[in-house]
Amino acid sequence: MASPPQLPPADDLYLTAHDTIRGKSLLSPATLGLGLGAALLGELMLWRRVDLVETELVVIDERPTGDAATTAVLEQLRREAGQHGVRNWLSYLSTGIATDLVERRLARPGLIKRVEKRGLLSTKVSFVPADSMTAGWPATRIRTKVSRDEPLDVADLLLAGLILATGLDQHVLATLNARDRAGLFEQFRRLFPAMLQQLVAQAEAAVGDAVMARRA
Amino acid sequence: MSSTATKPPGSQLSDALARDRLGVAAIVFFMMSAAAPLTVVAGVVPTGLAVTGLTGIAIAFLAVALVLAIFSVGYVAMARHIANAGAFYAYIAQGLGRPIGVGASWVALLSYNMFQVASYGGFGAIAQPLFLDWFGVDAPWWGIALIAWALVAILGVRDVAVNGKVLATLLVAEIVLTLVFAFAEIFTDGFTPSTAALDPGTLVGAGSGALLVMAVTGFVGFEQSVVFSEESRDPRRTVPRATYIAVAMIAVIYAFASWAMISAAGDNVVQRAGEEGPELFFNLAAVPLGSAALHLGHILFLTSLIAAMISFHNIIARYMFSLGREGVLPRAFGRTVPGTGAPKNGSLAQSAVGLIVIVAYAVFGWDPLVQLFFWGGTGGGLGVLLLVTITSFAVIGYFARKPEGEDVLHRVVAPLISSVALLVMSYLAIDNIAGLLGVEPGSTPAIVVPLSFAVLLAGGILWALYLRSARPQIYNGIGLGSRSATTTGGFAAALNETESR
Repeated sequence: MASPPQLPPADDLYLTAHDTIRGKSLLSPATLGLGLGAALLGELMLWRRVDLVETELVVIDERPTGDAATTAVLEQLRREAGQHGVRNWLSYLSTGIATDLVERRLARPGLIKRVEKRGLLSTKVSFVPADSMTAGWPATRIRTKVSRDEPLDVADLLLAGLILATGLDQHVLATLNARDRAGLFEQFRRLFPAMLQQLVAQAEAAVGDAVMARRA
Repeated sequence: MSSTATKPPGSQLSDALARDRLGVAAIVFFMMSAAAPLTVVAGVVPTGLAVTGLTGIAIAFLAVALVLAIFSVGYVAMARHIANAGAFYAYIAQGLGRPIGVGASWVALLSYNMFQVASYGGFGAIAQPLFLDWFGVDAPWWGIALIAWALVAILGVRDVAVNGKVLATLLVAEIVLTLVFAFAEIFTDGFTPSTAALDPGTLVGAGSGALLVMAVTGFVGFEQSVVFSEESRDPRRTVPRATYIAVAMIAVIYAFASWAMISAAGDNVVQRAGEEGPELFFNLAAVPLGSAALHLGHILFLTSLIAAMISFHNIIARYMFSLGREGVLPRAFGRTVPGTGAPKNGSLAQSAVGLIVIVAYAVFGWDPLVQLFFWGGTGGGLGVLLLVTITSFAVIGYFARKPEGEDVLHRVVAPLISSVALLVMSYLAIDNIAGLLGVEPGSTPAIVVPLSFAVLLAGGILWALYLRSARPQIYNGIGLGSRSATTTGGFAAALNETESR
């Protein structure tokens, strides 16, 4: 049986951060937003549109990526270039903007479905994965490759890094043994570009700050 | 600086982030609720009168407020330049070196835990006669303390905060009630204004150290204002203003209410405080106001203690979280529950400490009011006084190396004045420790309390020196807060793995 295709890292992170059946988020809205915001910025780095220099995001190529979510972020980065550090961008994207962009991107090909639950006073909108196999696949892929000592590609390293940064590893990487864990860490150090390492570290720091300030 | 006022107009990012920013009033509220006014006026002050026999507490509140306000000038200035501004150890690590910083972080942890367990003892002791009166339930104090403990433990591990509006309502009610009771005491027949409570001579006489520590205890929580540096509308103005306003308001309320109580009780105030304990403040006001006011006062007293317990527990859990992330405490404390962001392990550890202390006091039959509430509260107050003193020197040290962006008043003059004053206060406090606790000089409590701070300070310094040689990556990140991105969360730990083995 063929494996589901590999999605952009932000989509994979979204699916990993939600219950594969009911679509309930495993993360608080703030933490999810920080993770997805970092994932979108990471995608822009993989598209070679943006660089992270120290703590500043620098647009190196203004051409649209051909994908609505990352192009929207790129457009904003271009318009307010050099005014805010990466941490402010992450806070901004985490206010619901990143989550909204990623939900739309996943809903378009029908990977997640909009569900309306009518309550007593208001209607609650949520998204549910169309297929729990596909939704569980990203985490499975990382676990399988790591335990087989196979190298992850950069997109999957970004995903795995953000899984650790958001604390999702307590849900989806808990079954890795000490040797697998060390192997994954080794891959981060050897195969993960320094700029993306910095981005994920900044996202992790932002998650910690959110906890301290009771925003998480 | 990330001041929103300097940003060009029309920035979507700035607008979006500015929406959640805090103003002066929100920060003042937060600081005052941590200070728990009624607990101090009705709880700490009468118990202190009984234990120490000293009546100069009103002037001590004013004097301490003045010193803390001068200290705050340099403190809030430094907060603008460093990350992790909510924790004393971050200032100390960057001003006086990381080893002393780690030592201070351990001292802070002990001090905050002393406050927390003190509140359990106080709640049990104060609620016990009230429960008998109201419900006819004759429960032991520790039974009631354990119920409060369980409530705090459950809410803490699930990270349920007291709703901001509820907290604000309780706080306003508490302050209004304190002031109304104080005025009622003044307008009672036969009221003679006390000069002893306001005699500056008591601040240099015997027992002055004990008075000063009691006064500092009332202000604990003021240091939390700087947590909001990054969240405030204008970090240069909002946080300093909120800090000065809160310190001034706390000082005026405390000084006025304790002066009214001491005056109203008359010449035998110390004896009455010993007999009536935390009831003194209410009993005096009940003379003109009647018993309905008495019950209202009691209810607010208990609710304010519970609110203070819950918020202090959360502060401790978050403090342990930040230490865990920096590698100063085991990494497990740096983890949260993913779905809620609750710093679960810090919360569980604090609850374990609380349970052990309550059970120990119950088993050995120690007095919950004096030996737990008062000793814990003032012991914690002494710890915070020592931390504020070291931090004041750290401010001088930091600005000596990085004077950019602050004028001489903020980085030299004010910190120098406050450092000298705080050093004298700390000396007097340790010198008077037996008087503060109401025990013989040289007896066990008078040695254990200061010694435990010294041991933890030394232990922390040794741990930092170990980290410097064994795990330099972690050592370098100490005190830099989560902004440094060298914290020991899951991913950063992965990158640092080789150095930390």
